[in-house]
Amino acid sequence: MRGTWPAVAFFAAAALGPIVVRDAFLLDGLILILLWGASAAAWNVAGGYAGQLSLGHAAFFGLGAYSAALLGTRWGVSPWIGLLVGAGLATAFGFILGFLSNRLRGPYFGLATIAFSQVLLIVASRWRGFTSGSEGIPVPFRPGLWTLGIADKRVWVYLVLLLAALLYLVQLYLERSRRGYQLAAVREDEDAALSLGVPARRLKVAAIAVSAALTAVCGTLWAQYVGFVDPFYVFSVDLSVRFCLAAILGGIGTPLGPFLGAALITILETSLRARFGGIGAGLVGIYLIIYGVVLIVTMRFAPQGLLPWFGEHLRRRPHLGTAP
Amino acid sequence: MSLLSVAGITKRFGGITANRDVSFDVASGELVGIIGPNGSGKSTLFEIISGFYRPDAGEVRLDGGSLTGLSPDRVCRLGVARTFQKLRPFAGLTVVDNVMVGALTRTHDVRHARARARDLLDRVGLAEKADAHARTLSTGQRKRLELARALATEPRVLLLDEVTGGVDQRSIPGLVQLVRDLHRGGLTLLVIEHNMRVITAVAQRIVALYLGEKIADGTPDAVTRDRRVVDAYLGQAYTQ
Repeated sequence: MRGTWPAVAFFAAAALGPIVVRDAFLLDGLILILLWGASAAAWNVAGGYAGQLSLGHAAFFGLGAYSAALLGTRWGVSPWIGLLVGAGLATAFGFILGFLSNRLRGPYFGLATIAFSQVLLIVASRWRGFTSGSEGIPVPFRPGLWTLGIADKRVWVYLVLLLAALLYLVQLYLERSRRGYQLAAVREDEDAALSLGVPARRLKVAAIAVSAALTAVCGTLWAQYVGFVDPFYVFSVDLSVRFCLAAILGGIGTPLGPFLGAALITILETSLRARFGGIGAGLVGIYLIIYGVVLIVTMRFAPQGLLPWFGEHLRRRPHLGTAP
Repeated sequence: MSLLSVAGITKRFGGITANRDVSFDVASGELVGIIGPNGSGKSTLFEIISGFYRPDAGEVRLDGGSLTGLSPDRVCRLGVARTFQKLRPFAGLTVVDNVMVGALTRTHDVRHARARARDLLDRVGLAEKADAHARTLSTGQRKRLELARALATEPRVLLLDEVTGGVDQRSIPGLVQLVRDLHRGGLTLLVIEHNMRVITAVAQRIVALYLGEKIADGTPDAVTRDRRVVDAYLGQAYTQ
């Protein structure tokens, strides 16, 4: 989509949320939508814009979550410092993954990324002395913005809204800048891009490293918000799939798509679980089946994702790929 | 003074020698054709000059500086652009975006790159297709697109792999005229071409390859009458 008005509308609506709504359950949903949206957008930088389909981005999310949680509980360091440390670590690991992406293509790269997150899961769940192992880490609540001990969910909304807006702008840059055009060329045909003077390898590595760092930032904020880090959750393949699923559902390689996809997934999941899940419900797990069916139907009718689909059906104009 | 110099290039793939000690020079402003039957090593030579393959022996020099061992993107930035025999447009991008990728190698300004791209599309006769997706183009149009894209990188030497191959007869004169105009504009070109009528008409010099070796190098007239070229490639009927 050419215009940025849908994004402006989306973020404006999110900003109005805390003013209009007081209900803690709804505000929690909004915070999660923005957090998952930001995570999917961070994934989109590598998966969508650079065309490197990672199924291991939970590795970076977990690094962010653990860095802040560990530094905070063990040494009383501010989670903001933890956020930077997590992003730094993720960048370093991102470079390694980026290096791999130049050796492995397509499905092999995807498999390598899964293995990558699994290795971190094993380290986090087995290294008891340092990470508390499989018990996970409860993040202590210390009131204050510097310690991210914020009880008011409305403050959290604006905090993650800031993060989401940053992620949106990063993607917008990748759509309109010189580097963005070059990255699009690499995604389409790496050899042809090389022949036109595009430093394809360096660009791919840079995109993956940036994507990793941003994913880690999301991980830090998520852990500080939720208040608990469970290795089997933050390093799970499920989580990696959630990132790319949200981006693909919403529109891979579009700046607003990941947020739309995350909104759909989060709303669907939460409402279905509230309705059909829970102890004593007649059909345990039926919500998962409905969830799956909705995803399949969506992909059947909007294979490019929701955003391009809306673009085509509401405005009668074809999706323009990466054209600004 | 030679602008591009190919010196003693040898390239082996396992037991097959694709290029054996191939040497020739291309002077600034010259249009040199490369001919030879399938498998004679023409395309391999292009891959080596453009940095996609590393030769086992020999060197490629541009204006005296060695290109050997440099990555393809470096080679392009130094001034050698190429097209692909099997066309490789960025299918998901628009035509103008395709050309912008080339232009952005020389400018950091996206708006400037877009203006340059539109100029070049105008020059190759694709202006009205600028905003279409590249995948909607015909083969002839794709050839023009690849040409515009390569030109956008402001090459000092342009390598063209099969300008008229796979293009319908009616589109050939237009493409040939385009190459002629580029040459007349001062561009140095190295052109692989199977269509003998085309290559003898546009090239100042022709290099003939056979089984990886250079078997002739001279004016189109001399090369097409060369005994070995006739035997290896053109066939007796051609001379009569």
